[in-house]
Amino acid sequence: MSYDTNKTWLYRLEGRDIHLYQYVDGAAIDTLAGYKIALPNEYYGSRLIYPNEDITNGLRIEYTALNEPFVAEALETTTAKISGTTIAFVDGGGGSDTITDSGSGFVTAGFEATDKIRIIGSASNDGDYQLTNAAAGTLTMATALLTAETASESVTIYQIPKEDSSPSETSHVNLNRMLSLAAVDYVKAMVSDFTGDIQKKEYYIKEFWKKVGDNESNKRKISVTFPISPFAVK
Amino acid sequence: MTVQEIMERAGFTETTLVIAYLKDAVHLIQSNSKERLKVEKYNIIDGERDYLLPQDLIAIKSISVKDTTDSKYKKIRRLTSEPILTEDTDPE
Repeated sequence: MSYDTNKTWLYRLEGRDIHLYQYVDGAAIDTLAGYKIALPNEYYGSRLIYPNEDITNGLRIEYTALNEPFVAEALETTTAKISGTTIAFVDGGGGSDTITDSGSGFVTAGFEATDKIRIIGSASNDGDYQLTNAAAGTLTMATALLTAETASESVTIYQIPKEDSSPSETSHVNLNRMLSLAAVDYVKAMVSDFTGDIQKKEYYIKEFWKKVGDNESNKRKISVTFPISPFAVK
Repeated sequence: MTVQEIMERAGFTETTLVIAYLKDAVHLIQSNSKERLKVEKYNIIDGERDYLLPQDLIAIKSISVKDTTDSKYKKIRRLTSEPILTEDTDPE
């Protein structure tokens, strides 16, 4: 049984590998019938050991990747969203699985056939799905995707971008407006590099990073206050 | 913004090359500003130290291990130096 993993586990990066260690401060232990037991005649003290138990899905890595760089629809129009306790999930058996809303709000919320959706807040159906049809009270998808669930939980369903795996001129870059403008500067920089105009390249690369920086600072609202020192001489 | 609009704004007509440049731009953005995150989970195995980082990784945001007493993932700390191991097999 792992506990206080933030204090007792450590990692080290070696090339493409991550090495996991457990910090142990005490006797060497073993697990017997789910209980940790101290072994007699073993070293007693602080040390690092290899992981000493199986944990299903125990290691979680959060990272950035080049995932879905192009999408089929502009991010600005990927806005369909519905929340409520009137949403139920129907396992269609051999037929299509469906999500129903007794409030019949799916079309009003903006859902359309072939949209990609993400479900959160359900008991057992959280995840990403691809719709095959959308009607006011029913969203339809392929079979064997959903687990039957009656309406009770506060469920939210929202549209997410659908990847375009074969990008063409009509594909949308999976970035917001500001970062898309930054991408334009990047392309201009590379074109300038292609034509041997290094000064222009440098200029556009600066513009690229400026817009990436602006995009980051747009997410933050920072206020700074300075307390007046009680010993300040005025 | 469509690839075509970007090409028109940049004044360049080579679609394949522009798509490659756009992938590079997204890569650079993901490397620095962590615009969109991805999560990968692995089973931890008794006695196994080495786990492969995701092949598509650009930048790590956090590494956590599940605390089985409350089923929550907790961020773990990074060792900056190589630990001294007396045995390099299974030191349990």
